[in-house]
Amino acid sequence: MEVQEVTLPVDLEVKNLNFYYNGNAHALRDISLPVYKNRVTALIGPSGCGKTTLLRCFNRMHDLYPRHRYEGEILFEGRNILSDKEDLINLRGRIGMVFQKPTPFPMSIAENIAYGLRLKGIKSRTELSGRIEQALKHAALWNEVRDKLNNSAYDLSGGQQQRLVIARALAVEPEVLLFDEPTSALDPISTGKIEELVAELKQDVTIIIVTHNMQQAARVSDMTGFMYLGDLVEFDTTEKIFTAPEKKQTDDYITGRFG
Amino acid sequence: MAHQKEQDIEALKERILKMGSLVEDAIRKAVKALVERDRDLALGVIDGDAIVNTLDVEIEEECIRFLAIWQPSGSNLRFVTTAIKIITDLERMGDLAVDICERSVELLDEPQLKPYIDIPRMAEASQKMLKDSLDAFVARDADKALAVCAADDFVDNLNSQIFNELLIYMLQDPKNISRAVRLSYITKYLERVADHATNIAEMVVYMVRGKVIRHMACEIRNSDKT
Repeated sequence: MEVQEVTLPVDLEVKNLNFYYNGNAHALRDISLPVYKNRVTALIGPSGCGKTTLLRCFNRMHDLYPRHRYEGEILFEGRNILSDKEDLINLRGRIGMVFQKPTPFPMSIAENIAYGLRLKGIKSRTELSGRIEQALKHAALWNEVRDKLNNSAYDLSGGQQQRLVIARALAVEPEVLLFDEPTSALDPISTGKIEELVAELKQDVTIIIVTHNMQQAARVSDMTGFMYLGDLVEFDTTEKIFTAPEKKQTDDYITGRFG
Repeated sequence: MAHQKEQDIEALKERILKMGSLVEDAIRKAVKALVERDRDLALGVIDGDAIVNTLDVEIEEECIRFLAIWQPSGSNLRFVTTAIKIITDLERMGDLAVDICERSVELLDEPQLKPYIDIPRMAEASQKMLKDSLDAFVARDADKALAVCAADDFVDNLNSQIFNELLIYMLQDPKNISRAVRLSYITKYLERVADHATNIAEMVVYMVRGKVIRHMACEIRNSDKT
């Protein structure tokens, strides 16, 4: 199992990453880990451990706020995406993100998906409607919305909105999807649908998921990293982390002794 | 909430130890009943097995309830899965104590075949293995558990030795056969007790180290102390 995992192709490689907020708050400490292609990598740990901060490094979300600083590298196809020269619009198209609360745009279901496609320069109506259908099918939402594509996205339930957001991210054909607690605002049925979707999507994209729900991490992920106070304490196959972790800190967390 | 979870684990541990001490006691009394030709003691052990069976069912239900409620991971998960397997071994050992008593009662129909020397030694070794495996479980002591696994060979050797001795009795006089066969059963039961103690010890190693060592040679088990 472990040997097999190690030989998988690596999509993203984090190397000695340090991250600082507000110029000096040291939020990530010397993080190194591989993110395997077409696998789900889960990041777990108590609030404030740095898992969301790490997730946001992968598509440079921190750049929306001032006075942050990266040190180290995140290699994507051998290129350091933390470089000043990185084209962030292009990067965020290739490495998409889905947030905790569904964030549909205030427009129709179809327009939500067409938005990103238009940004990419796709104008043909036929191509747009084809890509919209494809993305909604991919996100397992098509059958529920095919007759009301022009309704407002806000008419959808929370779980449907979350799948719409996933469809929107998928429409621009990303290689990596980042999920930041994608089901913490959803009921168990919608959560189950998103988890199934994650399992299907990994055939096409590499997935990194941050979750507070440890059973969810255990169910959906192949690899798991446990973080604490800005350190990556342990990174291994999910099976190993949830049955026999090497580090006592990891065991204490997953057994519920702290955090 | 974490506090309640720890309490549940402690309660489970205590129940398993209670079951373990009842089984230890049953095996000790069964061998005493054999050696002292004490029918009442043997019948008492046979009756007492019902308590062990009840504990087996109740502890299993508690383990399943724990899994459903807490969905444990890591060391807690290993503890509960180990507990479920340990009680099965303990229950079987309880049955073996009953089997020893049944054969002992049957043996009362005839005079004693021979002085019992090696059978009490074998019983003592098996009981020690059971006790040590439970101590290792409580103390989460993998080294102690590995020592139990290693002791199994001694019991196996005694079993073959006693069997050869009984074979000679049977060859000498066919009238010895019914008693010798029953004694041979009894040593087989004691050998099985030691096997179940070894199973418990192997599970304890898994519980402590997260490594499955069943069906591995002793040398390999000992070489990998993580």
